[in-house]
Amino acid sequence: MKSENLSVTAAAANTTGVAVNKTYWIKSIILLGLLGVLIALPWFTGYSTQRLMVELFTFYAIALAWNLLAGYGGIVSVGQHVFVGIGAYAMFSVSTTFSLNPWLALPASIIVSILFALIFAVPMFRLRGAYFAVGTWVLAEMARIAVLNSDWLGAGGGIPLTTMTGISRWLRNAGVYWAALAVGAGSLAVIWWLMRGRLGLALLSVRDSEAAASASGVNVLRTKVILWVIAAAITGTAGAVAYMNTLQVSPGATFSLNWTAAAIFIAVLGGIGTLEGPLIGVIVYFLLRECFSSYGSWYFIILGCIAILTMVLAPGGAWSLITRRKQIDPFGIRRILS
Amino acid sequence: MARPLMLTIMRLLTPTLEFDMLVFIETLINGLLLGALYALFGMGLSLSLGVMRMINIAHGDFIVLGAYLSSVIVMSTDLGPLASLLLLLPLMFVIGWLLQVVLFNRVVGRDPLSPLLLTFGLSIVIQNLLQEGFSADTRSLPAGDLALQGVELGGMSIGVLPLISAAISIAVFWFINRLIHRSPVGAAVRAVADDQETARLVGVNDKRLFAYMTGLILVTVGIASVLYGMRTPFSPASGPERLIFSFEAVVLGGLGNLWGTFIGGLIIGVSQLFGARIDTGLGPFFGHLVFLLALIARPQGLFKGGKS
Amino acid sequence: MLEVNSLSAYYGLFQALFDVDLRVEEGECISLIGANGAGKTTLMRALVGALKVDSASVLFEGQPVGGQSERQQLARGVTLVPEGRRLFPSLTVRENIELAQHHGRPGKWDAELLFQELPALAEVQNRMSTELSGGQQQLVAISRALVTNPRLLLCDEISLGLSPYAVDEVYRLLNRARKDGMSVVLVEQNVQRALAEADRFYCIQKGRVVLDGPAADADHHAVANAYFGV
Repeated sequence: MKSENLSVTAAAANTTGVAVNKTYWIKSIILLGLLGVLIALPWFTGYSTQRLMVELFTFYAIALAWNLLAGYGGIVSVGQHVFVGIGAYAMFSVSTTFSLNPWLALPASIIVSILFALIFAVPMFRLRGAYFAVGTWVLAEMARIAVLNSDWLGAGGGIPLTTMTGISRWLRNAGVYWAALAVGAGSLAVIWWLMRGRLGLALLSVRDSEAAASASGVNVLRTKVILWVIAAAITGTAGAVAYMNTLQVSPGATFSLNWTAAAIFIAVLGGIGTLEGPLIGVIVYFLLRECFSSYGSWYFIILGCIAILTMVLAPGGAWSLITRRKQIDPFGIRRILS
Repeated sequence: MARPLMLTIMRLLTPTLEFDMLVFIETLINGLLLGALYALFGMGLSLSLGVMRMINIAHGDFIVLGAYLSSVIVMSTDLGPLASLLLLLPLMFVIGWLLQVVLFNRVVGRDPLSPLLLTFGLSIVIQNLLQEGFSADTRSLPAGDLALQGVELGGMSIGVLPLISAAISIAVFWFINRLIHRSPVGAAVRAVADDQETARLVGVNDKRLFAYMTGLILVTVGIASVLYGMRTPFSPASGPERLIFSFEAVVLGGLGNLWGTFIGGLIIGVSQLFGARIDTGLGPFFGHLVFLLALIARPQGLFKGGKS
Repeated sequence: MLEVNSLSAYYGLFQALFDVDLRVEEGECISLIGANGAGKTTLMRALVGALKVDSASVLFEGQPVGGQSERQQLARGVTLVPEGRRLFPSLTVRENIELAQHHGRPGKWDAELLFQELPALAEVQNRMSTELSGGQQQLVAISRALVTNPRLLLCDEISLGLSPYAVDEVYRLLNRARKDGMSVVLVEQNVQRALAEADRFYCIQKGRVVLDGPAADADHHAVANAYFGV
């Protein structure tokens, strides 16, 4: 039965091989063109646009990482802001301590985030489901209080990014923008690549049934820890780049739940467990923000209500409303289940 | 994280900080009294997790909402904060009942994450509604003379208000425990907690039971919120921290074990006050630390989870 | 009394029952026979309201009742003894029974009558249900269904894993209850027993009824064929 299906699909693929090749090239050209336009952006836009784009890309990356955990690993974290803080503080302190160019200090964000994630995977993965979610929040609270009480990290005042002085304004803005673009596009590429490979398959089986997956040789815990570490690295780097924009980290803002809230909103609204969802979500999020953020509390009330309505009416998010009508799969990672 | 730890070790090793038995006992007693309040925070969370398999991220915001509602009642009537419970508790029950019927019943049982994300949105809505209605300033409930009175006990002074609130907390725990373990309604609650599908087969109306449960949960939250508001100033943003303390109490005590939650609350309260003795800013940090360490040592909680 | 007309049932996209037709008369006992995964439990769940099905596909006394809730079916007198007993571990034996009695139909059967009929259970009525032996647990499970005073009792695998003596005791209780005219649908792995207890039988294979008839003159060869699908 299974092998029959497979051979049929293989035959179909053979006959349409030429067509597949053609759409592949068209896709690649569109993608490269888009990337080119995005890279060239600093030459024909102002600083405010670039700053907005930095936010957009970093929020996108953080939402993608949250979605990687929740949508593909079934692990919900409400404490992802801990990595925003850890990543940003790592880069700021390495850069200012060693008078290092901030861009060269970015790898510190990745390394410290990964180490932090690995160490705290030990207590966190003793919790499951909703308990894990709130447990990560406790972790973020601890980190915030610890930083707040650490004089060498600037305590309550935080750290200014003094190493940025001496870099021309244009280059600084463009440089941060390119870093953000690299983080946004890079995390999409990394996750896309992961999902197409063995890890993607393992995740799919874990999501469907943990028991069945572990019975067929998938190490469920290891798979989840890998996801947690990858998400940490992405979130930490995105956090560092986001704070290159503002030139100052402080415990209250950098370890703020608002980061996780935004990531959850973007992923839930766009569609959990899809690569396309966060893209739609981040665009909607910034459209709403640009239009309504002047309304203060009411803006957040509206955001919260949208999230609630999405969970009640369309748990699959906006992307599920689109695919309900039309089967499209631009990233080519949806697997046919037979 | 390294610095607070170093600090602790240094303080512990410093000979100038003499070990004072009286201070130790006083801190312990105050920690237990504070912990009894945290336990009351945790009770609602424990019930909704145990019975509905649902975590309510907005739990802490309900505590703050209750405190604000009480302050509105106090300001618009002649009632004091404790007397305001007469009006507050029915109101909280109705709010809980409505929320379950209108929102939560649509997502419970679907998967564990839907209620979590839904209540996350609700938490943001409540916080910002409170901010819109009452501004971001802190306020507190007028405790009057109670806040100042203390009982002298062998050279220590124990506040009357914390004593009263601990007594109320114990009474609420005793009552709810009895309700669940010794009443026909409690049997239905335990049945749904054990096996929702089979409970439906024997005719239990699970959705209606959940609505009453959430009403009851918000009644316990209402009591906790008044005791909290009389003791500590609160603001619209105070909710998340309340949730975290409640959560720590529940997980420490072992899931689905009401008296376990009570003990868990005590442990968090004591840890926080001893932490605050070491460094005033680090009280909650030590609560979290003890929680994490306990989690590593005993992931299933300190007590075996008898179903509640 | 109960009429099932071209009933189809689904779990998500997976179809578990295909156009099943079935009929139970007042006071009759019928057996559902079939291999594991044939759809017997699905059929029971559909009848009791635990699975959403087309309204007209299940008629109770001529009324379309398909897809109605467990509580509505219980009020009509349709009760299921679920597979694996599924007693509530946090409840005592008495609480298990009284919970069902409280939500069921008024009638002859109540906890007191059952404890009279089953003195062994009366002795352990205040123990937790998990402390009982398998046979006793099954008696509690059936008692829990009987106190809702059903007119149609659905029994899913009530002898599974029990000693022969315990099985006899379970069927003795069931037959005692049938004397008042209650109808029964049995799912029973032991085909001999299934045919011995029932008036009529239905063989189900891969979600379809493949054979049915009076239990007394069932051709064992034909039943075996229907069972194994050869």
